[in-house]
Amino acid sequence: MPASNQSDDVARYAAAVRAALAPLPDAERENLLEDLESHLEEVATESALPLRERLGAPEEYAEELKSAYGAAGVQANPKQSRLIRDRSTALIQGVLGTRAYREIRALLPELRPGWWVLRAYLAVLILAFIFRDGGNLRPIPNPFSSHGLLQIVATVIAIVISVRLGRRGMPAGRVWRGGAVAVNFAIAVLALPVLVSMGTGYSWSPSTDQYLSSVSAGYYPNFTNIYPYSKDGKPLHDVLLYDQDGRPLVPAQSGLITDVPIGADGLPIPNSYPLNQRGPNGDLVLPPRVALPPQRASSPSPSPTPSPTP
Amino acid sequence: MPHTNGTIDTSQLLKGVLDIAVLAVLAEKDSYGYDVLRRLRESGLEDVGDASVYGTLRRLYQAGALKSYVVPSDEGPHRKYYGLNDRGRRALDQSTETWGSLTRALDQLLNGRSAAHAS
Repeated sequence: MPASNQSDDVARYAAAVRAALAPLPDAERENLLEDLESHLEEVATESALPLRERLGAPEEYAEELKSAYGAAGVQANPKQSRLIRDRSTALIQGVLGTRAYREIRALLPELRPGWWVLRAYLAVLILAFIFRDGGNLRPIPNPFSSHGLLQIVATVIAIVISVRLGRRGMPAGRVWRGGAVAVNFAIAVLALPVLVSMGTGYSWSPSTDQYLSSVSAGYYPNFTNIYPYSKDGKPLHDVLLYDQDGRPLVPAQSGLITDVPIGADGLPIPNSYPLNQRGPNGDLVLPPRVALPPQRASSPSPSPTPSPTP
Repeated sequence: MPHTNGTIDTSQLLKGVLDIAVLAVLAEKDSYGYDVLRRLRESGLEDVGDASVYGTLRRLYQAGALKSYVVPSDEGPHRKYYGLNDRGRRALDQSTETWGSLTRALDQLLNGRSAAHAS
């Protein structure tokens, strides 16, 4: 038989077999017939007789295939097929049943209340980030500033609401359920840039800061902070100090964490005194008690003492 | 297919042991579909059908007992070879044991019957 006739014969026969097996589920049929054509070609090359004469009608061939592939062929040898099935399920269960996987799976429901609290905290943090007025955003807001206090109160309220919602379980409607998932996801995603900005841009310690290279600063090793006072004993704030070369006066590395104010240009102002510093344990560094020297009576009122220069 | 006249169709018997036969053939050496059929027929299983062998190969492959690879051939189509993997070898060992105990039991039954028949 010429080659072209033979391949036609194979294609026709294979198509008829496929058609006869059409009622099978698609995946199963594909698994069974994956290399039917190449197999039939192999058969065809062995003899010049048409396939129909050698293999019988395609419908019969399909029936035989189905019975050899399907349950009918398995029944006669249950022990072996069970063995194979057991092995494959054992393999899947081996992966799913590893201790680590099981422990994590078991832990997830227990972690749910933790997420309820965390998402409330993060949601308020995101809002505080959006509405911040150039101030420093801290992991735990300063309760002695109005903004910080507001943030703490808002966080507590948000936690109460979030836990109540969480305990109620997922809403019934599909739309609501999708919305709930989306909101949780959005909080988790939006919190990332906020947390990242907190980590680098706004809390600053001299030992690790990279901004300093851009601000050419004079470092002085013998102090950690400067507390300026006015002549009449009032502590001054936000006093900018520069050295003789016009460089910002910045204390050298001290182990303290300094909250550096950010200028309108987005750059830190490291020489605004007194510096707002916290110790390694997070406590605010309190200003020292100072004894201010007594001033001579000021000049505007006429001085009763005689002038040093006569 | 039910047989009303009481004899057992060889193809029905074959069906049950075809898995073991195919595994045994492949344990000897890796083969492609038509070669498996030919070797089965050469070893005396004349009635085995092409579709049965092909279907059995696909099922054993799907069950994870066989590995498979394609070997280009100069004349004719590329051939898909099948061979035993570890699972297939274990399945064959298990089946050999089962087959052994089954045939021993049947031999005993048949011998007992033929002995009784003789006396």
